[in-house]
Amino acid sequence: MNCENCQELIHDFLDGSISRIDEIALNTHLEQCLDCDSVRHDLESILGYCRTHRGEYAAPPNTAALWLRIRNVIEAETPTMAESIEPRKSIFSSLMSRSWQLSLPQLVSSVIAIVVLVSLVTVVGIKRWSVTTNSQLEAAVTEGNSDVNDRVFQRNQVINYWNQRVELNKARWSPQMRETFDRNMAVIDQAVSDSMNELNRNPHDDIAEQMLNESLNDKLALLKEFSDL
Amino acid sequence: MNVKFSTWSVPSLAKIASIIVIGSLLGSLAAQSPQRLSKRYTVGKNVRVELRNVSGTIEVESWNRDEIRLSATIESPNAHVVPKQLDSSLVIDVMSDNKARGDVGDINFKLQVPISSSVDLETRRGQISVSNLRGASVRAHVSSEGDITLSNIVATQVIAQNTIGNIFFDGEFSRGGTYEFKSTKGDITIRIPGNSDFRMVATSPARKIKLGDFWNDGFKTQDGRKYVGDVGDGRSSVSVTNFNGSITFMRR
Repeated sequence: MNCENCQELIHDFLDGSISRIDEIALNTHLEQCLDCDSVRHDLESILGYCRTHRGEYAAPPNTAALWLRIRNVIEAETPTMAESIEPRKSIFSSLMSRSWQLSLPQLVSSVIAIVVLVSLVTVVGIKRWSVTTNSQLEAAVTEGNSDVNDRVFQRNQVINYWNQRVELNKARWSPQMRETFDRNMAVIDQAVSDSMNELNRNPHDDIAEQMLNESLNDKLALLKEFSDL
Repeated sequence: MNVKFSTWSVPSLAKIASIIVIGSLLGSLAAQSPQRLSKRYTVGKNVRVELRNVSGTIEVESWNRDEIRLSATIESPNAHVVPKQLDSSLVIDVMSDNKARGDVGDINFKLQVPISSSVDLETRRGQISVSNLRGASVRAHVSSEGDITLSNIVATQVIAQNTIGNIFFDGEFSRGGTYEFKSTKGDITIRIPGNSDFRMVATSPARKIKLGDFWNDGFKTQDGRKYVGDVGDGRSSVSVTNFNGSITFMRR
């Protein structure tokens, strides 16, 4: 007999339902196995204690009342469970289905609070929107102008380079050639200036922009062509 | 040592002095008078002529020969003009021929070319005139000031540009051709047949655009400074830009 069979037979032994043959085998094993013998002693102690103190744990004084309270608790929890099973209502619908009981002073205070809040939000919103729109417009106009100014500045840098080259060679030219160059450069500069003025008046003037680009190109071309002389 | 002294009378001395003075004058006048250059080049019908001048007039006209006749008056004795004949073109580059020679003065050219020649003409200063050509292209570019006159021109590409000076075009617009006229200060006049077909972009910030008989309701304008539109089927492209002058279209 092993320990597992032994501990199963211990329960039958303690209940008094063990056969004579199993009892002999069990006793033989218990004599040889201290662990199983210890288990038998523990179980015998528990059973002995129980038999000794049987009847000391009295039933509740009013069993019927106890069951009634239990039933009430269960019934009270049932609607909550049902609610939790129902599909969830949206915040808006739950808000709309909700009702408040307000006194007249509370109602007046609420209305005043709402009016003040809405007014504040409206004023601040309009201010911010107008500031944003104005700044965007100003930014757009400035951007347009700065874009043109940047391009003119960049082009002028190239023009300055060629202008220096022309100035170096100018001494070799005949007086007539110098006069011709200066006169033509003045005419182109006037065209550049007129276009810039027109663009300052109207930054989105396509024709003025086209004229500005062409006159700057012409100026550069004139400088390049005369720098070879 | 015997020294012989000749005796010269005052009239004799005066004669000799006069001869010396006149000789010197003639010599210096000859030195100052312009050089003349005249050359002829046998070419094909569709020759291309490239001329890059510094200062002076350029005059080109057609004649009924398969050759180019080049005439030039050269103001400065320092100036060199060395035309180069390539396969089907004649190149005269005064700029390159006179590098580091300083001011070479005016050189006035006159060219007679076959009627179907293409010409590409440039000068820093001076007038350009081209007449009676029916070649592929005509380009006349004056860097600074000088009038451009293109008379009786039929070409698929015409470009005329100056800074100060008038531009006059008298000719025809070919189908699919491109025509560009541009001046900063001067009047641009275009004289073409009444049945011309072209798409036009004319820009003049001075608002001096006169389309005459070629005006139609299809033209779009931006406050009179720019006109864009088609005349006829718009089969050729015309661009006219004038910063400070008039643009006039005339019927031929």
